[in-house]
Amino acid sequence: MSMDFHGDPVRREQLILRYLQRRLEAGLAEEWENHYLGCDECFEEIRATELLIRGLGEPVVERKRIKDVTVLSFSQSTQLLAASLELTELSNAIHLESDTKVLIDLSRVSRIDSTGLGVLMGCYSHAVKNAGVLKLLSPDAPVRRVLSMTKIDSLLQTFEDEAAAIASFGHPA
Amino acid sequence: MNLSGDDIEKLRPKIRFKVCYEVGFYCPDVDDIVQESLARFLMATREEKIHNPLAVGAFLNGICRNVISEYRRRNMRDEPMPEVVPEPPGKSIPESDLFELREAIGQGLEQLSERDRHILRSFYLEEKSKEEILKQTGMSDENFRVVLCRAKERFRAIYVQHTQHPGSLRH
Repeated sequence: MSMDFHGDPVRREQLILRYLQRRLEAGLAEEWENHYLGCDECFEEIRATELLIRGLGEPVVERKRIKDVTVLSFSQSTQLLAASLELTELSNAIHLESDTKVLIDLSRVSRIDSTGLGVLMGCYSHAVKNAGVLKLLSPDAPVRRVLSMTKIDSLLQTFEDEAAAIASFGHPA
Repeated sequence: MNLSGDDIEKLRPKIRFKVCYEVGFYCPDVDDIVQESLARFLMATREEKIHNPLAVGAFLNGICRNVISEYRRRNMRDEPMPEVVPEPPGKSIPESDLFELREAIGQGLEQLSERDRHILRSFYLEEKSKEEILKQTGMSDENFRVVLCRAKERFRAIYVQHTQHPGSLRH
């Protein structure tokens, strides 16, 4: 009896995911191919999943250099909360590089929790350990409030204007 | 079984995807394999060899598999065919094909809430099961389905819109 690929969309997504990863058992892969080659809906679902996975896999933390300052920003609106991938990415962006002047643009961060603050502090410690400086740019009101309540803003200098933030690092003549 | 020009054009991207899946997205002979598969399929329909219209996909898959096997045998004339076919290089859509879609993909993601993106990343990238995600987020099964279906609907629309313009997402 052939499988019903339309019955449960979650199961179909799991199947598509495994098919795209080439981890589907051969018999089931063949049955799936037999089906989607004759089914427009399922074929479009495969292609849509491909695009969605590509999008989700795009790096969220973007890095640019302005003068000798590394500016890290988020490509999408983000929450820096426990277990969010953005936190891991941010942490890696700081710890895997040896930049000494780092500005983190928080303009697209709408929420931050204690884990997020912990990561920011970890990034700050890493920068200090490497004789570097880490500053923050444009936090939204809720994030600014948390930074202020926890007094982290007294440790991490915060700016509203990118040019002023870059200038504050000072540059070699 | 009669196939119109539209029917054939609907089959082409499917065959193309299946062929790319097997031989890799960078294989220079994809077009030839697709054309040969389509030609054999059309021939079979003209000769009324497809008795069960519900099994068109299986019939087409069989033809594709044969054409791909013949292609592989031709390419490996001087070597024994391996028992397990190695995975081809270029297993997913080439970056060049995605270039014009990048903006649409970005916009599609922007339309999803941060919570939805987090859930989708857990499902697709971290490969967490639905049960794990429900436990972690405290959301209901129904809500999870809504998140998944809403995202898929957006990205399906992106795919459909781009395939209507020749040259985009050819594979």
